[in-house]
Amino acid sequence: MITANRADPVPGFVESSFNPLIHDVARRCLTERPGDGTRTALLVGSTVGDSGTTDLASRLLIGGQVSNPLLFMQATANAILGYVSKEFGITGPLIAMSALTGLGSALLDTAHVLLDDEELDRVLLVGVELAGSDRTAAFCRELGLPQPTEDFAVALLVDRDTSFEDSGGYDLRRLAEGPTP
Amino acid sequence: MSEVVVTGFGVRTAFGRGADALRRGVFGGVPAFAPTTRFDTGPYRTPFAATTGTDKPDLMRDVLGECTDEAVEMAGFTARDDTAVLVGTSGDFAVLTRFWRGEAGVEAADTVPAWQADLLAARIGASSGRRLAFTNACVASAAAIIHACGLIASGRVSSAVCAGAYLVEEEVFAKFDSGRAMSRDGFVRPFSADRGGMLLGDGVATVVLESAEAVRRRGGRPLAAVVGWGAGSDAYHVSRPHPDGAGLAAAAGRALRRADDPDGLRIDYVNAHGTATKFNDPAETRGLRRVFGTRADQVPVSSTKSTTGHMLEAAGVVEFVITLLALTDGVLPPTANFTEADPDCDLDYVPNVARDADVRRALNLNAAFGGVNTALVLERR
Repeated sequence: MITANRADPVPGFVESSFNPLIHDVARRCLTERPGDGTRTALLVGSTVGDSGTTDLASRLLIGGQVSNPLLFMQATANAILGYVSKEFGITGPLIAMSALTGLGSALLDTAHVLLDDEELDRVLLVGVELAGSDRTAAFCRELGLPQPTEDFAVALLVDRDTSFEDSGGYDLRRLAEGPTP
Repeated sequence: MSEVVVTGFGVRTAFGRGADALRRGVFGGVPAFAPTTRFDTGPYRTPFAATTGTDKPDLMRDVLGECTDEAVEMAGFTARDDTAVLVGTSGDFAVLTRFWRGEAGVEAADTVPAWQADLLAARIGASSGRRLAFTNACVASAAAIIHACGLIASGRVSSAVCAGAYLVEEEVFAKFDSGRAMSRDGFVRPFSADRGGMLLGDGVATVVLESAEAVRRRGGRPLAAVVGWGAGSDAYHVSRPHPDGAGLAAAAGRALRRADDPDGLRIDYVNAHGTATKFNDPAETRGLRRVFGTRADQVPVSSTKSTTGHMLEAAGVVEFVITLLALTDGVLPPTANFTEADPDCDLDYVPNVARDADVRRALNLNAAFGGVNTALVLERR
């Protein structure tokens, strides 16, 4: 697990820790275990997404300020996925998804489906959440969800030999909290 | 592997609800763009968008619900324990604006993508299955369909309800304006030499996908089969497409190999991403030449964003429905507003007028920021 204050900055991605967190954990996995980028997929999951960028842009709009073109580019996780894919030559699927509960299990399940494709060998899955804003606090209250207390990301590189059962169906929050059961 | 079939759809665009509205607008080659009155467009470079004309967009959850009700009714479908509900959305941005304005009665949960999927699942009684939102911007709902196909083909589930939604509002409009991506004159001219960018449009659609075996068992009727699907990335740039359409060709290649047609010899029509931006259209053209080789000149390609506008997260599923209608009606929707050929865009773009055609198989393409690309192959039933 990487928290925001440990993530290296990424040029151009300066308004939120969301993208640097994704880049940092992805880089660590892909550097430690290099592989064939043409047979690799990237999968990012976050319940809320990049609330830092989204809420900043919204507050600028309400304040009557001109929208920053950087926020246009960074409005979705695609931009950092594209950045990582270029850095590591990954040409497989790039997917960003959101689940309300059980995000870690959903990521592993989706990775398993991706690996049904004989043209893929590996999936890098990343779970990322930000501590958030008044908005995230509001919907966590509305839905009875716990609000993250800090910005963090977790990554797991799975290959064809890793089954969902082998991984134990871990929730990424549990992975983030310490030793897995 | 289980065969994946489509049994129902519901759709709403700026042309209104249902297939006939699409036939009148998209297949009629009539653009839906007008100055939008949903917000003050004074600060922006263009006032134009394709909207249903209401001053305020409906709640995304309500329109998603209506389209899903229509899809389920058309299919004669009842959710099963394993039904997956997969929605392409980034959440309701109109609600986001209202939240930060401090308006009363706003439910912040509507801004959370996954909540839209959970709401939809609850509406159709599918809360025990997988419920996910896909947030990949312009390929989001296509990614949802691709995931559904993987789930059904592998036998993990027997059905999936896939949707996508975007309703024009100021948050995203302002971002595209700041990126100078939008046409200033109210026309979207994909593949034309004088194209000036895209415009946003309302789009919401739902499709019901099932295994052919499950449909047979319940006595249902498939509208079409999804015989190929694939995704691929450019590994090139955070926002610009690969100039040779490398990722798009990779996605199409995966889909065509799965469809047992690696050279695309059986494709009769391509519904292109076709945003009418400077970089997309020539890149997509080169990508299609990589896919089809010397046959590329003979494959009709059109961009229906010329009439609907760009529906962002909903583009994949709405254009999936348009492609489905091309198959079932035997009509190719045109690229509207086509003026003069660009030397870098040299395919048959079905300019301005719909064309009768015996369309047995069609390829549906989408692309997004970050060099993310998707491809789906539909086959008539």
